[in-house]
Amino acid sequence: MLPKMDLMDDDAGLMLRYRDGDTAAFSALYAQYKGPLYRYLLRHVRNAGAAADLFQEVWSRLVAMRTRYEPRAKFATFLFHIAHNCAVDFFRRDLNLRGVVPHDLDSAFLEPEVPEYQRPDKVAEFLEQQSALLAAVAALPQEQREAFLLREETGLSVEEIARVTAVPVETAKSRLRYAIRKLKKSLSPMQEPEAPRLRTYA
Amino acid sequence: MRDEHLPDELDEYLRGASPLSRQYQRESAPVPPHALERLVLNAARQQPVEPKPSLKSQSLAPLAFAASVLLSVALVLAIVVGPAVRRADDKPHVVQVRVYKAEPPRAAVASPRERNPAAWLADISALRRAGRNGEAELEMRRFRSAYPDYIIPVSE
Repeated sequence: MLPKMDLMDDDAGLMLRYRDGDTAAFSALYAQYKGPLYRYLLRHVRNAGAAADLFQEVWSRLVAMRTRYEPRAKFATFLFHIAHNCAVDFFRRDLNLRGVVPHDLDSAFLEPEVPEYQRPDKVAEFLEQQSALLAAVAALPQEQREAFLLREETGLSVEEIARVTAVPVETAKSRLRYAIRKLKKSLSPMQEPEAPRLRTYA
Repeated sequence: MRDEHLPDELDEYLRGASPLSRQYQRESAPVPPHALERLVLNAARQQPVEPKPSLKSQSLAPLAFAASVLLSVALVLAIVVGPAVRRADDKPHVVQVRVYKAEPPRAAVASPRERNPAAWLADISALRRAGRNGEAELEMRRFRSAYPDYIIPVSE
């Protein structure tokens, strides 16, 4: 988890320096955020290949818009808002690909090949490699999974998560609450294997 | 929507006292592959620094706009009001137009950032409806590079 930061944090200052041409400032930002960002993407889209593509895309967008950067919030909020948008685009593209039903054999051959990372066997392979907790996280609904990952990987507050995902604070709170409840529920038999269970029999 | 049955569940979690959070933080922490890191860092270092617009050109912008308006009004007046039927004894009128040495008005084709995002998204949707998915994707990429933080409605 990232350390807690002020509204106008040091990282926003680094981004301003990068905006003005200091590439060492970018390296510092990158070193701090590469892990949380990568894990957020990896565990959100649940696929290593897609996560790598999105990871690159997030940084590319940040680089492309650096000259227009003005710090209006914590840098983490800014960066993960871009990441959120990339993920939304990914899920939309994924949905479009899955929604394509060829009308005849010829068009089936004309359709572009499904990327390797979207093949069902690759997705299954990714899920099999996860621990029980990560598998439970992967099984959460998309919005709840994202809220949980943002909290765990960045330490953002509920208000900041709401800002990143562009939803009201109550919605973000609700998503996080349901995520926690489901995760606890799915893990409870594994966490307490010897716990006595009270049962009544008629 | 707050669940009244578990009032402290979220608060406990947000305080960082949740076993769930501790368990997550104990999980492995994968990092991006080195090859990917090199790509990102090289791309960031190769971006040239765009010079900021000078104060002089910024201050001339309103003058350029004023000159454009003045010229437009003069042209409209010339078309609507004149030329009247000229009499033999009419003296020639002299119209004085001040021309400023400044940037011309904006080009007709807007740059990506100046393009209205809602209209742009509507165009992309139209491309998708027309089955031109390749072009739609290309446009969406352009849109994303121009508006990386724009929230796209789910219906787009």
